[in-house]
Amino acid sequence: MPKTPYPKEQMHRIAYTKLSQQQIAAKLSGVKGPASVSAFSDVFSGQSIRIVTDKGPALTYTFGRNNRLSLAENGAGAVDAGYGALTLNNIGFFSHLIAGTQRGYSIVIDQDTNLATVFELWFSGYQDNREVQREIYYGYVEQPGRPAPTARHVPTNRVEGKGFYWKQDTGAETLEFYPSAAYSHFIELSRFGGELGFCGPSDYVKINDDLYIYTRTECEFSGTFTLYVMDLNRIEQIGVRLGFDANDALEYYLFRGKGEWLGQLAQFEKFGDETGSPVPPAANGETPAKGARRVYRPFKTMPKMSKAEVDAVCAKKTTAFAPASGPGASMGGNLGPATNWLAGKRLTLRYDNAPAMEYRFDDAETLQWRRESDSNWTKARYRAWESMPGVILFGHLLEGVPNHDGHSIVVDFDQGLVTCFNGYLNTPYYANEAGVKTLFGVIEMEGLIPPKYNRHYFTDEMVGRAVSQNYAPGLTSMHLYSTPHSLSWIIFTTSDAGGLEWSGPAAYVKIREGLYFLYWLEEACNGTLGTILVNLHTMRDVGVGYHCGEEGLSMSAVGAHERLAGRFDIMRFYQVTTSGRIV
Amino acid sequence: MKENANSTRRSFLKSGLVLAPLTAVGPPRVLADDGLKARLARLEDEAAIGKLHQAWLRQINSGASDALLSMFTAQGFAFGHTVRNIAADQAGEPDAIAVEPNGKSAAGRFHCAIEIEDAIPQDCTLARMAHAQGGGFVRRTWRGVLKVEYVKARGAWTIARVELVSV
Repeated sequence: MPKTPYPKEQMHRIAYTKLSQQQIAAKLSGVKGPASVSAFSDVFSGQSIRIVTDKGPALTYTFGRNNRLSLAENGAGAVDAGYGALTLNNIGFFSHLIAGTQRGYSIVIDQDTNLATVFELWFSGYQDNREVQREIYYGYVEQPGRPAPTARHVPTNRVEGKGFYWKQDTGAETLEFYPSAAYSHFIELSRFGGELGFCGPSDYVKINDDLYIYTRTECEFSGTFTLYVMDLNRIEQIGVRLGFDANDALEYYLFRGKGEWLGQLAQFEKFGDETGSPVPPAANGETPAKGARRVYRPFKTMPKMSKAEVDAVCAKKTTAFAPASGPGASMGGNLGPATNWLAGKRLTLRYDNAPAMEYRFDDAETLQWRRESDSNWTKARYRAWESMPGVILFGHLLEGVPNHDGHSIVVDFDQGLVTCFNGYLNTPYYANEAGVKTLFGVIEMEGLIPPKYNRHYFTDEMVGRAVSQNYAPGLTSMHLYSTPHSLSWIIFTTSDAGGLEWSGPAAYVKIREGLYFLYWLEEACNGTLGTILVNLHTMRDVGVGYHCGEEGLSMSAVGAHERLAGRFDIMRFYQVTTSGRIV
Repeated sequence: MKENANSTRRSFLKSGLVLAPLTAVGPPRVLADDGLKARLARLEDEAAIGKLHQAWLRQINSGASDALLSMFTAQGFAFGHTVRNIAADQAGEPDAIAVEPNGKSAAGRFHCAIEIEDAIPQDCTLARMAHAQGGGFVRRTWRGVLKVEYVKARGAWTIARVELVSV
């Protein structure tokens, strides 16, 4: 039996229960406090402290024995709660819920400076009640007879670009990447088998140059909240996890973990800019509500169409390589010049795992295609670009086929090889969501003898790399190739900080040294299939996007100037062992 | 041309001539045909208009109302763009204010650098995400000349018309 713990459904496919407030209240009612595999610390036992925050509550705590505390908020009557505490060097951390409510606090105290950062946490604060909300208050522990400190822990971008492997005392293993100052990307190795990575909005708070606080909320998924303090030198963490898992069971535990440093990606902010929270919590001129933050909610906003709706919209409007104002045109702002090399040529692309495709290229933008067994030719609009000498990428839609296929094809005339990302619709979850098959094969044409055995092949050479793409003025993103089967994309803010981030399944094919053909699927997002041919010599990519939505089916050109942003050393985590599981 | 409906700032109008609410009090006109007094009056008018221009710029740059901006008429320049900032172009020609001999109207020419903003169409995931995080626009700086017409009524100078022309 396979030992790699692949889930029955990946995180973005799990239909998490929409828990009601009453259900959540019932699940919280019996909670005495957080659990922990590691022994709780008694660092606060017997103490009474008052935490003063700048724009938040004043919290008076009295810590008793047996992990019980009493809390008075803003001078109100005290309530009792069970709590857990852990320490990491000079940091004391504790967490508790408040009985009879759906909220609680998790608090980080630097015992050297008496500075405190307070995270107020609550359920039922968003339309999806299970999604944990948070508000952060900065302050200090009052010291009788001493003036209040002026320094504070601060939001920061100093964690941006880092990546760690973490192993908690629970046994949970993750790869966690912070390529954004507002989001993070995580690979669940032990819970989900490490096949795909996922993203969540995150906070990064600087305690000092060595110690930082990180949070993540698994929005669009379970809504689970994770917070930890990490020591970047010792690579140790202490933190809390709060939320409901896929079976709606409460996870509320403190953890201690150790990790490995995986590398550092480039940052693109101006030198000297160390500010955090680059994404404003509310729109210009609006006062953010408590806990407000910008959350990318692609699943909520994507159109979810049936096969009948897809068929109808494709019949109504199908567009291939629209002019500058057409669908997806923004992504083609930095396209290189198209090639007309194919014009007038005839060839057959003989795939190993799909019917051969015959082509007649009428001119630089029109081709005719047919499957080898067909008698009729079908006209299609195409565009082609020569990324490296002898290697041409071209794409076209296959009008008339049942699943409205689109082909993004790299033809390598030096080797006589072809690789096609065959996009198609009518996929199992939502009919407008693209699926993809990767087709390998050879080129048959006059004057070219193709190889018998050689093929382009899937590669892991891109895994761990980060590459930024500037598609057009104001449209800059970065890909983080975080697993052999998924990538994440990060959108830069106007200050060139990493902002919103999301991820999807992906694959990478090596065409030549320094030339990689890759795709990603924007599953549970907007259904797009993105394909690009990345030239690491010229640092330019070219490709095509394939998308179906309420506005129709489209294939559009993609072209960007790229920059290498660094690389994480992570392939060792994806090696298959002889026992059949990944490391 | 498409206006940025989501903009919280102001856009050039396609056309329009609206009296500006800003005014600046000028000196009482001296009837005596005394060269020195006339020159003094002209200098005081120019100074008043200069102050009016600076006040107008401050209002623009601090987020003026659309009503204030409605005085713009742009001739083949900046249509459909959102204006973020107007600053004096130190590399351009000096400001010029010419008061008519009757002292009732004046014209100003101000070389300036105008920061404009264009929204990126939300036609792809990247653009939608950029908008979702408060971005999704391109800013550029254009150099041009503000041609401003002033009129004096009840002793106060008022902006009658502002035209932006390319250099």
